[in-house]
Amino acid sequence: MALVICALVAITGLAMAVAGHQDPLAAQGYVVLLFALAVGLVVINGYFAPAPDEERLRHYYDDPIKVGIILSMIWAVFGMFIGDWVAWLLAYPELTFDAAWASFGRLRPVHTTGVIFGFGGNALIATSYHVMQRTCRARMPGQLSAWFVLLGYNLFCLVAVSGYFIGITQSKEYAEPEWYADIWLVIVWVTYLVLYMRTLARRQEPHIYVANWYFLAFILVVAMLHIVNNLAVPVSLGSAKSYSAFSGVQDAMTQWWYGHNAVAFFLTAGFLGMMYYYLPKRAGRPIFSYRLSIISFWGITFFYMWAGSHHLHYTALPYWVQTLGMGFSIMLLVPSWASAGNALLTLNGAWHKVRDDATLRFMMVAAVFYGLSTFEGSFLAIRPVNALSHYTDWTIGHVHAGALGWVALITFGSIYALVPILWKRERMYSPVLVEVHFWLALAGSLIYVFAMWNSGIIQGLMWRTYNDSGTLAYSFVDSVVAMHPYYIARAFGGLLFLLGAIVGCYNIWKTIRQPSDEAVVLAGDHPADAVAEPAE
Amino acid sequence: MFGTHYRLERRSIRFVLAIVFVASIGGLFEIAPLFTIDETVEVDPDMRVYTPLEIAGRNIYIREGCYACHTQMIRTLRDEVERYGHYSLAVESQYDHPMLWGSKRTGPDIARLGGKYSDDWHVAHLDNPRDVVPESVMPAYRWLLRNELRTDDLGGQLLALRRVGVPYSDEMIANAPADARAQANADDPGAEDVAARYGEATNIRAFDGDAGRLTEMDALVAYLQILGRLSDAAGKQAAAGEVAQ
Amino acid sequence: MIDLSHDLLVGISKSFGLFYLIALSIGATVYACWPSNGKKFDRAAKSVLKDEDGPWQ
Repeated sequence: MALVICALVAITGLAMAVAGHQDPLAAQGYVVLLFALAVGLVVINGYFAPAPDEERLRHYYDDPIKVGIILSMIWAVFGMFIGDWVAWLLAYPELTFDAAWASFGRLRPVHTTGVIFGFGGNALIATSYHVMQRTCRARMPGQLSAWFVLLGYNLFCLVAVSGYFIGITQSKEYAEPEWYADIWLVIVWVTYLVLYMRTLARRQEPHIYVANWYFLAFILVVAMLHIVNNLAVPVSLGSAKSYSAFSGVQDAMTQWWYGHNAVAFFLTAGFLGMMYYYLPKRAGRPIFSYRLSIISFWGITFFYMWAGSHHLHYTALPYWVQTLGMGFSIMLLVPSWASAGNALLTLNGAWHKVRDDATLRFMMVAAVFYGLSTFEGSFLAIRPVNALSHYTDWTIGHVHAGALGWVALITFGSIYALVPILWKRERMYSPVLVEVHFWLALAGSLIYVFAMWNSGIIQGLMWRTYNDSGTLAYSFVDSVVAMHPYYIARAFGGLLFLLGAIVGCYNIWKTIRQPSDEAVVLAGDHPADAVAEPAE
Repeated sequence: MFGTHYRLERRSIRFVLAIVFVASIGGLFEIAPLFTIDETVEVDPDMRVYTPLEIAGRNIYIREGCYACHTQMIRTLRDEVERYGHYSLAVESQYDHPMLWGSKRTGPDIARLGGKYSDDWHVAHLDNPRDVVPESVMPAYRWLLRNELRTDDLGGQLLALRRVGVPYSDEMIANAPADARAQANADDPGAEDVAARYGEATNIRAFDGDAGRLTEMDALVAYLQILGRLSDAAGKQAAAGEVAQ
Repeated sequence: MIDLSHDLLVGISKSFGLFYLIALSIGATVYACWPSNGKKFDRAAKSVLKDEDGPWQ
């Protein structure tokens, strides 16, 4: 079965290569073909393994989770490296090659897709597999679909990123992949939903634990957003290019309805799911208020959807839609702070653990950053504030306060909590390196965010400053010059963060490689699988 | 009574439907009215469409990710109007599939860039921005002058745009590659046809300074020079005495 | 005619949206605070701290 799917994907890749012989689509076809062949080889490799016995059904199915974690860390280093590169490019624009693939405009979506979808997405898939099985007390219904979702998703990321290098993009921010990649993602995503639902249906607990709600909302709403925002007409089946079904105002509203809710349901809901499981688990205390978590769940699910239009203040979007977005953005603060507060109050009575355990501290600081950046988000959505902040680096600072401080830190915390469990080790290879990673990440985030606050506010003020004679005081290029020191500081902060991620990779690698702790190993824990683990 | 919710989650399917329902309402309420909005905002019967060469240029603009650093949306703020020109109107991007309003000004807004600088300036600036503006942090797009423009697919591009609602005629679609070549060469016998099909205001000249070659630079500069000039709605509004807030 | 449909849509958005918001907030809050649900929630909150061994058979 797995082989059949690989073959089908390979044929699709070949068809794309043939149909798009004159077009960049052909190169994308080869990427698909190679990926399918590689996975196919691994499958064949495991084909002659002994047939799986019934024993395996007594364990959770963790192999795809392990691979997901590793892929996630690989994407993290890749995406952050590109991110830091483009950060240096803004300070020193010649720090690149005289080649189209290496220019800022093409690297930037590589960075955003690499970190959001590559790093974040893989982490979400892996942790959701873990959380859903544990909280349902049930093994996944099958093995194939879990692998299909994980690897299919990575194929999507790979196609997307390789496409940007050769100039294939829809130009919709955070939805850059073209139509064929979008269709593929829909197939993968529906499988993901079905897998999740089937596992829930097998659960032994009557109540669905709240972390699953967040993961479900993440899966469902991302599907909705993705499908609507990517409605487009391809030029032909042999062309990578498509034109959005929407234009002008409608397109802008659809795009930022998508863009804002991608933040809400990809970068918030999913990671809240992570937090609601791993934080109590690691702290050894139940969540402070389960009731509050329910209220904030519905609050977030409901409010976020309305808030997208705050990306379009003072534009050609109708005024009432802007006002609506502003109102809901402010109301959003309530469920957001409820979640952050809930997380921090859970740690009451466990603060000594936070002091000693860098893994728990990752999660604690993530919750603090979550609270801060949601406050900042509501603040920036207020129309007059937005007049100053919009189009400036302040937005970039805000996004990274969320992305580095909240998303990445909660992910690293969860991964450090998860890796020893998955590989049956007593703890990480080196707690000291976890500590090092923590401080690098925290310092990097703070430097980054402070640099961008400064540059953003200066930029915004310079653009609107008038001199005594009533004319604009600064030319645009004056503001560019003023940004230079902050861009260097930002790139340096990013570098620290990247170094932290590399330290984390090394630590995880050593943890996996160190001999397993006999006491923790359960007998017969590694059932032979029909689907072998890919070599990556 | 609140066994309802309990049953709801017992049956995870219903739970899923509840999430979808709750989540979709907001988007629906915000977006749906915008599809009837065409009738309530400015209309411009004289609005021109992008020529094939300009579409090719627009696609290069998208390909190189220019939208990541340049906005095409002047907000209704005094300093923006003074810096960039009349604030952007909804009608001006009605044929933009997708819109390129942007979200970040690492570089200045270019919604009304057309005609502001000479072709020569643009060519030099795109080839290496620091030759023209020493402080610039914009990347150098040296390959634009090196690369020949691909024109064989332009008919298909216009056809796809027509499918999403841009009023291209059969004649425009059939002649797209020829029109693209003719627009970048005033001596081309087809140059008059381009003006006839796309309007007298269409720029017809060798944008990259070399009429003998049709490069990607031709297309991109042709696009940049038309920004803000497809519609005169803003100009009319300004003339009618509307003042930006 | 067409203007009317636009106004209508906007009207529905603005009025029904508000009631919907209020109803939903009340619904979620009441559900979360309903006393008889408390025990279930406590159990759920503690459940994540329990075993990791394997699925319940």
